[in-house]
Amino acid sequence: MSALAVERPRSMRAVPDDEALAAAFAAKERWAFDEAYARFGKLLYSTAYHVLGNAEDAQDCVHDALARVWRSPDSYLRSRGAVRSFLTVCVRNEAITRLRSKTRRRRLEERVAAEPQEHDELGAVDVIEHDRLRAALRTLPAEQRRPLELAYFDYKTHVEIANELHEPLGTIKSRIALGLRKLGAALGAGE
Amino acid sequence: MTDHLGELAALYALGILDPREARAAEEHLLGCDACRRLLAQAQADVTAMAAAQEQLEPPTRERAPVVRPVTFGLNRMWLAAAAAFAIAILPAGYLFEQNLAMHQAMLADEQAMARIAASPHRSVAFSGMDAHVMYGPDGSWYCIVIRGASAPLHVVWPHDGTRTMLGTAVPHGDVALLYLPKSHRMDQLTLMQDDREVGQAQLVF
Repeated sequence: MSALAVERPRSMRAVPDDEALAAAFAAKERWAFDEAYARFGKLLYSTAYHVLGNAEDAQDCVHDALARVWRSPDSYLRSRGAVRSFLTVCVRNEAITRLRSKTRRRRLEERVAAEPQEHDELGAVDVIEHDRLRAALRTLPAEQRRPLELAYFDYKTHVEIANELHEPLGTIKSRIALGLRKLGAALGAGE
Repeated sequence: MTDHLGELAALYALGILDPREARAAEEHLLGCDACRRLLAQAQADVTAMAAAQEQLEPPTRERAPVVRPVTFGLNRMWLAAAAAFAIAILPAGYLFEQNLAMHQAMLADEQAMARIAASPHRSVAFSGMDAHVMYGPDGSWYCIVIRGASAPLHVVWPHDGTRTMLGTAVPHGDVALLYLPKSHRMDQLTLMQDDREVGQAQLVF
C-alpha cells in the first residue's frame, strides 16, 4: 500500500458510495477502513454483543475481527459482496468461535449468574418482543423458522439441528437456506 | 471441496458449519467466483437479520481500542508490523485464520488418537453416557472420549475420600476428548458437569 493510497481521495471527500468503498476496501486503503468502521461500527458491535452478551467481549471481538481483516492480504475480494455484509459475517463468526471456546464458555456461564452490568436499559423492555427480527421470523413457516432460529440464536450446527428436530440433514440444509433467503428478502437485504 | 457450495453458503454465512466443512468451503471459495457471489447474498441476508435486532451503542470508554488499529496514526507502526507479519508468515486468508484455533485443537486431538492407536491399551465404557476411557495397561496415560457432548465435562479421579480434578473435556463438534499423560494407576474415573456426576468408569489393571 503506497503512502498516497492511505489518504482519502479528494474526489471522495464527501461520502463515497458503496462501490467506491468496496473497491478501496479491497485495495486495503486505510481511509476505507476508517469509513467502514464509521458507518458500520454500531452494527458490528451489536452483532458481537448479541452473540457474546457482554460489552467487553463484544468490543474485543470487533477489534480482533477488524485487525485480522486488515492484516490478511486477500481477506476481502470485491466478489465477496458488500463491505457491510462481509464485515458483519466476519464479526459474527468470530463471536461464535469465541463463544464456543472453553475459556469464553466458562466466563459466559459466570456472567449468566451475575447481575447485568452493561446496558441495564435493555432489562426494562422485552427485547425479544421488540426486535424486528423476531417479528420477521414469525412470518416464516414453522418448518423453516425453527431450524433458522436454532442456527441464528443458538449457533447450532446443521448436524445438531437435524438431530434435535429429527429431520434428515439434507432437509435441514434446504430449510435453513430457503428460510434465510426469504427472511433476507422480507428484511430488505440487497446483495 | 470441489463441488459448489449450494445450500452450504447459507450455513457458512450463519457460522454453523463445523470447522472441517468451513475450511473446505473457504478453500473452494478462493477459486470459485460463482460461489463467492452466492455467499455474498447469504451474507447480506444474515446481515439483514443482525441489523433487525436491537442496535447498541458501543461503550464510549471502549470505543477507542476498536477504532485505533484502523483509524489513528499512533498505530501505524503496529499495523505495518502486523501487515508485514501477515504477508511473510500468514498467507492464509482471514476466514481460515478465524477457525485456526478450533482446527489446532482438533489436530491435537487427532495426534493423541494416533498415538493411542499405535500403543497397546485397554478400554472401559462410562456408565450413564456415551463415553469411554482408553488407557495404558501400566497406567501411564489415559484418553477420555465423550460422544454427543454439548458442554465441557470435568474428569475427576475419586480416591482416598477425596476428588482430584484431572482436566476438562471440551466438545469440538459432537466429540469431547481429553488426553491425560498421568503416571498414577487410577482405578475409577468420574465425569462431572458443573457439580453433577454424569458418568463413572471402573478401570482394571
